[in-house]
Amino acid sequence: MNKRGGLVIALVALVAATLASTAGAGSSAAERLTAVNCSGTIKLPLLTPLTGGGGPIGNEQLSWAKYAAKTLGPKLKLKVQIVGGDTPVEKGPGEAQKVAQKFISDSQVAAVLGPATSGGVASASKSLAKAGLLHISPSATDSSLAAGPKAKRTASPVAFFRVVGGDYVQGPTDANYMVSKLKAKKVAIVDFQEPYSVGLANAAQAVLKGKGVDVTRLSTSVDTTDYSSLVTKVPNDANVVFFPTQQPEDAQTFGQQLLEQGKRATMFGADGTNNPAAFKLPGSYVSNFAPDISGIKGNKARIAGWQKDNPKASLGSFGPPTYLATQVEMMAIAKACKAGGGSIKNRASVLKYVRGIVVPNSILGGTFRFSKSNNEPVNPKFYIFQIQKNGSYKLVN
Amino acid sequence: MSGHFDDELTRPLEGASEASSAEGSTSPEVGRDEWVARHGERVTHRSGLLGTLEARFRTVPWWAWLTLLVAAACLVPAVTDSGYVRRVAFDTVVFMLLALGLNIVVGWGGLLDLGYVAFFGIGAYAYAMLASDQFDLHLPSIVAIPLVALIGFVAGWLVGLPSRRLTGDYLAIVTLFFFQIFLTFTNNGDDVFGHSLTNGPNGILNVDELSFFGWSLPTTTSQGQFAIAYLYVAVVLFAIVYVALRLLDDSRTGRAWRSLREDPLAAELMGMPVNWLKLLAFASGASVAALTGTLQASLVGSVFPQDFAFPLLITVYTMVILGGAGSQAGVVIGAILISVLLEVLRDPGDSRGLFYVLVLLGLVGIFRLSRQLAVVLGATVVLGFVARAVAGAIDDRWTAGVPGGGGRLAGWASDWVIVPTQLAGWIPPVTYIGLIALLLSLTLLNGWVRIAVLVPTLYLAAFVWENVMLAKPEPTRYVVLGAILVAVMIVRPNGLLGERRVEIV
Amino acid sequence: MDTFIQLTLNGLTLGSIYALIALGYTLVYGILKLLNFAHGDVVTVGAFIGFGMLQLLGGSTDPAVPIWLLLLLITATAMAGCAALGVAIERFAYRPLRDAPRIAPLISALGVSFFLAYSLQLLFGSEQRDYDAFSMAGGALFFKGFSIGAVHIPLLRIVVICAAFALMVVLWFLVNKTRTGKAMKATSFDREAAAMMGIDVDRVIVFAFVLGSALAGAAGVLSALRVPTYPSAGFVVGLKGFTAAVIGGIGSVPGAMAGGLILGFAEAYTQGYVSTKWSDLAVFVILILFMLFRPQGLFGRPDITKV
Repeated sequence: MNKRGGLVIALVALVAATLASTAGAGSSAAERLTAVNCSGTIKLPLLTPLTGGGGPIGNEQLSWAKYAAKTLGPKLKLKVQIVGGDTPVEKGPGEAQKVAQKFISDSQVAAVLGPATSGGVASASKSLAKAGLLHISPSATDSSLAAGPKAKRTASPVAFFRVVGGDYVQGPTDANYMVSKLKAKKVAIVDFQEPYSVGLANAAQAVLKGKGVDVTRLSTSVDTTDYSSLVTKVPNDANVVFFPTQQPEDAQTFGQQLLEQGKRATMFGADGTNNPAAFKLPGSYVSNFAPDISGIKGNKARIAGWQKDNPKASLGSFGPPTYLATQVEMMAIAKACKAGGGSIKNRASVLKYVRGIVVPNSILGGTFRFSKSNNEPVNPKFYIFQIQKNGSYKLVN
Repeated sequence: MSGHFDDELTRPLEGASEASSAEGSTSPEVGRDEWVARHGERVTHRSGLLGTLEARFRTVPWWAWLTLLVAAACLVPAVTDSGYVRRVAFDTVVFMLLALGLNIVVGWGGLLDLGYVAFFGIGAYAYAMLASDQFDLHLPSIVAIPLVALIGFVAGWLVGLPSRRLTGDYLAIVTLFFFQIFLTFTNNGDDVFGHSLTNGPNGILNVDELSFFGWSLPTTTSQGQFAIAYLYVAVVLFAIVYVALRLLDDSRTGRAWRSLREDPLAAELMGMPVNWLKLLAFASGASVAALTGTLQASLVGSVFPQDFAFPLLITVYTMVILGGAGSQAGVVIGAILISVLLEVLRDPGDSRGLFYVLVLLGLVGIFRLSRQLAVVLGATVVLGFVARAVAGAIDDRWTAGVPGGGGRLAGWASDWVIVPTQLAGWIPPVTYIGLIALLLSLTLLNGWVRIAVLVPTLYLAAFVWENVMLAKPEPTRYVVLGAILVAVMIVRPNGLLGERRVEIV
Repeated sequence: MDTFIQLTLNGLTLGSIYALIALGYTLVYGILKLLNFAHGDVVTVGAFIGFGMLQLLGGSTDPAVPIWLLLLLITATAMAGCAALGVAIERFAYRPLRDAPRIAPLISALGVSFFLAYSLQLLFGSEQRDYDAFSMAGGALFFKGFSIGAVHIPLLRIVVICAAFALMVVLWFLVNKTRTGKAMKATSFDREAAAMMGIDVDRVIVFAFVLGSALAGAAGVLSALRVPTYPSAGFVVGLKGFTAAVIGGIGSVPGAMAGGLILGFAEAYTQGYVSTKWSDLAVFVILILFMLFRPQGLFGRPDITKV
């Protein structure tokens, strides 16, 4: 092929491209999404890290979403298929926006579960909202996503909801308990330089400082696993170490290293470390968005059913809220279907019904509904557990 | 090679070596010892279909390549109306730009820069700071984009300073540290002497979309779909960068870079400003990366420290190495191939198809259409049915599993490959390590022994792919990238379209 | 004062492990002039092999063998496994590139590193793996030991530090007193001359990889006894080990040991006295300065390019 051949190729390609792009601009089939047929299969995608570092959490969420779709579908007369949308933490929060595109252009998708991480919500929420897609996150707790005045929220105030309270609820709850019940005068706070950890640590620190508690703030990167020098920096007379991370093993290690260096401070984890299989240091505390899940009315059957589907998995704290989020979305879809006479004309109609959804006997306890003023549950509450000698968690507040 | 040297330059020399240019089609090239160049030719020129194809590829002039690529990118909206595919096309162009930038440093300068992705990050962060509420600056893109490119250039220059004293692996490690420093800084930048520069791990949100002359480009359509305008902007940027680099490569500087890479010592002795050249390579690469960062930040609308991680660096490196460091067309092809590969591996059904097609192509490539090929294929198929029948006879559960994902091949695969309902814990590690051991030993064997080992290896590969790798796309992708890097380095270090490397004998 | 003793102890524990890892870099670099990027991931593989062996022997709370034998067995398996891995890496990823330009084996090493880290994640998931030494022998490893002032020095740390130093002594002996060790030194001084003197260079290189990787396996187990491990941990570990090797003077065996300890202390003291938040940054900046102004390290000889 000589230069002339190249010229011919180039010209042909150029002409083809010009034709194609004008044709492409004209055909905007993607803009006209067909109505969702309620008797067919409806897809609910879950945007969460399924592989990579956050994989274990994402797969726990996926298993509960699938269980919810399987068990609740027949009652609501819906055929719901949960589709995993993998957003590995290694690829950064921006990935959620890209994966969201996949589901925005899929006309079988009526609503979205997640994104699971706060960063993912921040990057994907705008596109999802424009597509009229309801997205309920079971785990994104960054305060700025849904709290405060509407104009300042970093997620869409119309289409983004979450079934758990933000950091501004959990941080102060934990801080207040430390002061009032544990009589803490000196507290060390450790953050891991990632959004979940920093958000929660900041929220708790503000309250503690306000109450005149002496706070030592320590900060380390996620890559660190040997904490001995951080432990050395925890003051000898500190009462409590607040340790909000998403890795319960880290809390266990930190607690052990405290003991190793003879420090008496009590470990206090958050919902991310709520995992009896990994964090089991007697006398420590963890907080969670639900009271003892297995003790709630009706949950025995749910947990047993889920365990039958997932024989190897252990009950963690990220699954049940995902079940609830799936349930709320399915109920809203069912209402939209009814109103639309067997089909959902456009996705935004699902959004219309979500605020009116009431879930009696919810998996997180009590009756669940969204608040009128923001897109979170009414009176989001956090509960505090103490780890017992045998490693079990006992509700103390 | 025809694009590399002007006719004007080669002409005076043609007379000097008339005899040799008469016997072969290749004309002698400036700056190359002829025997050495011929030696390279003998080593890298391949016979057969692939060789002819490659020779053909090399003679296509660069501007034809460019038009073809631009045309292909413009065709995307006509082919599909899925916002996702369009977004993937955009990401591919971003990767193409990143590969072009890295090619300056690695391919032309011969410097191993492991901090390259940090410049991408610096560009994204710089744009986010210049065009968002972070500092209440909202510069129009026409100002912000050149400014970011300049910032990238300066940053590259500064980081490149150590390259004056360090070579090879030392430079690699210093740049890797620089990458770590960048990550540490962005992660902790929420409290620098009480000021928030980067918002730390929470990132900078609500970054402005691109705007030209008061005309802003929304990032999504009214339906939330990816806005195709961004693909066009990316393609235009790509074309500009490609042409600019092409001109740079044909200039004195480009030729100096090549000689610097081949033999820095000789280059220095010839009076070339070696340090200056190295710095220029570093800074130009960084500038391209930073420029690309603006595209990313403006489209996604947010930047986080976690967006710029080590796997991204390896991905871009694989693109450059696979395509052929030093060749612009090569690295762009590498970027397209890897980008498509990573997307295909995302879905189990597609990833299965890719696997069987590649295995078949590989076998045909090795054996051509010969009797051996028939023997290998036949034996593998028979082995599969026998093994599955035996396993099924021992225990039903061994063959009752459903292979992951859909795809046309799924049904066929489940009749042939053993897919147990539940994988015992020891199976994945043992089969995976066994497969790697077999694959490695294949490289040491030949003749009929090799064929005898090849057959069970193929079947084991199918087993591992179906049972272990399909279910976990993320690690599988990176395992594949790592394997490509090693394999390309060993089998064909100049990549698909890289320059023939002239070894100093 | 107590804080100082405690930080010194922390630094010593970290440093002795860094030193073991640095030795692997230094041995290979000394002979091949190759920065073995994959070394950090070999350390993680060692930790995982040890974890597998621990499970085979019945786990940490109820092991089938006495505790000292348990520790010995998991370390030995990890060392053997890693040595085999090291040989395979050398044979298949580096040897074909021995005469290629220097950038080629570096890129191959990057590929191997990535391949190993993500293979671990593919096979075992990304969960953290905890040896749970806390439960071994009823907590004896943590609560027994002795005290200096108010600082408690637990048995586990003594085990880790002593094992690391014992291995370093063995290595010193192998390098300085055996024939192969001497051949190694000769090869690292001048590979071609050594080959002419009848030294089997291939064998020497394999030997270096066996030693380095076995030490990496031991380092993996020793560090995993104290802190959980996970598939991608090797990246940072490798970075630290390499830095230690550079500080000490890459290619120099005593240099690697000194470099490891210096790095361990530097990390512990900056975290303890300066800032936990910016400690990584401080360490990296110091190292870049080191490489710029004294690239041959403390014990190394300056690299003179031969033409």
